[in-house]
Amino acid sequence: MTGNDASNASAASNGTAIPSSSKSDFIVKAGLAQMLKGGVIMDVTDAAQARIAEEAGACAVMALERVPADIRAEGGVARMSDPGKIKEIQEAVTIPVMAKARIGHFVECQILEALGVDYIDESEVLTPADDTFHVEKSPFKVPFVCGCRNLPEALRRIAEGAAMIRTKGEAGTGDVVEAVKHMRTVNRDIARAKSALQEGGDLAIRALAREFECDAALLKQTAELGRLPVVNFAAGGVATPADAALMMQLGCDGVFVGSGIFKSGDAAKRAKAIVRATTHFRDPKVLAECSEGLGEAMVGISVNSMKPEQKMAGRGW
Amino acid sequence: MVTVGVLALQGGFSEHLSSLRKAAAHVSNPSSNFDFIEVRTPEQLARCDALIIPGGESTTLSLVAAQSGLLEPLREFVKVNKKPTWGTCAGLIFLSEQASAAKRGGQELIGGLNVKVHRNHFGRQKESFVTDLELPFLSQKSDDNPTTAAPFPAVFIRAPVVDRVLTDDIASVDDKAENIAPEVATQNSANQVQAPKGKVEILATLPGRHASNKAAEASVEGAETQTVAPKGAGDIVALRQENVFGTSFHPELTDDIRIHVWWLEQIAKSYE
Repeated sequence: MTGNDASNASAASNGTAIPSSSKSDFIVKAGLAQMLKGGVIMDVTDAAQARIAEEAGACAVMALERVPADIRAEGGVARMSDPGKIKEIQEAVTIPVMAKARIGHFVECQILEALGVDYIDESEVLTPADDTFHVEKSPFKVPFVCGCRNLPEALRRIAEGAAMIRTKGEAGTGDVVEAVKHMRTVNRDIARAKSALQEGGDLAIRALAREFECDAALLKQTAELGRLPVVNFAAGGVATPADAALMMQLGCDGVFVGSGIFKSGDAAKRAKAIVRATTHFRDPKVLAECSEGLGEAMVGISVNSMKPEQKMAGRGW
Repeated sequence: MVTVGVLALQGGFSEHLSSLRKAAAHVSNPSSNFDFIEVRTPEQLARCDALIIPGGESTTLSLVAAQSGLLEPLREFVKVNKKPTWGTCAGLIFLSEQASAAKRGGQELIGGLNVKVHRNHFGRQKESFVTDLELPFLSQKSDDNPTTAAPFPAVFIRAPVVDRVLTDDIASVDDKAENIAPEVATQNSANQVQAPKGKVEILATLPGRHASNKAAEASVEGAETQTVAPKGAGDIVALRQENVFGTSFHPELTDDIRIHVWWLEQIAKSYE
């Protein structure tokens, strides 16, 4: 079994780049992400919001103290949530509960693991704690999702042990343009890796890995699969059912919605509509139905008008 | 041509399709011809002769199924037309008559397996695991050359188990059957009125997990009278009742296609 089947996102089916000792650990970590596919993961700040998300059909919630739009507005250092908040949310819902840790802050990760969160997002939305290293994720029992802007960044995170990837987009803006840019960049990079493998074999893959500054074995695996070796969600700016379907049609496996839901007029209705749009992302008639009468979308900020230092996507490397 | 659908509302549906396509080449009856499709609408379901309900989040599956007008067509498919249906993990929950540890306010189920499942039985994600599982139903039963199947690498991810069989008509492939206390349902649940009548066949149990399972312990001590089978019985992780087959683990996350081959062979036989 070579795992060449592009329709199968299973990292489990291709262990070439993953040490066999930790293979079953990784199957379980990547497997949960595979079970989230086709679903919507929603940012929530308390038990009431978590219940709205679960009732709307969210496949998981991300527990955090402030949604990205508020982090952006209020400024200051953004850190891991109060454990009490996370526990409150865990008690309120039966779906997986994820939580964010700062880039490089492995002690926040240890705390989140001890709380029993189902996934840790090592996230650029919080203020980075280390300007040299991301967290070494493989030794943790809890799986990690990390953001990326391109394939090399995604593969660096996977090499550190991330079992799920998401585009960074530009969180807290309600502007989908950066998520689209990052998804298209990943797709373009994968196409390059594929043609490098076809035309130049291992040598070309090694040369490209040098240019990409990423692991050659993971790059080869990506080229063979024709997709990322783990599940890839869209994040950072998804605010409408159409945004979600756009990201799905561009090849994402599912979507994170941060500020887009609870910063809008009718959160419950919008949440349901985005869930439905994510399932029926190729059916414009359903998309028209679920886009109708949702009330006010989040006001948002156009990414174009932002200064580089205001963007979160540049955090991490 | 037998059309096999995979419910593609949310979850690991592409993995099942991939396993099915590989498995189709290994089905022993060479005349069987399969077509595999994703199912998101009642029209697509109507084309199917058999169906897999994949893993995912069971609450999401049932809410999206309701939104998509699929709940009643699915119930008819499984319980009235009695077409072969296999649920893995969340799919098993969806195909059970009752579920405990459901979300607040409960969740809609299709039913078809006259059992009560316990959601997230082993706990949260850090309690997920892979283990070798004996699956006697994969062994050759022929008299002249019986063989014992190698253990199956079973992937349990926030997995459910069957806590209770809601009928006393039980068959088990292994000797643990006597330990699995049947409890005839006395609830006046609406579902029970039309609960399936056939024999519940227990196809696999996971031995010795209860002792270390705090979640199960807690629910025994909780307000509900008895929500789990007695300690030591082993957790029921694969079962069948008439046309409905359920596993609490994920064969589609491994390279091992034996269960997919076995299931397709059962379908091929039933449509011969």
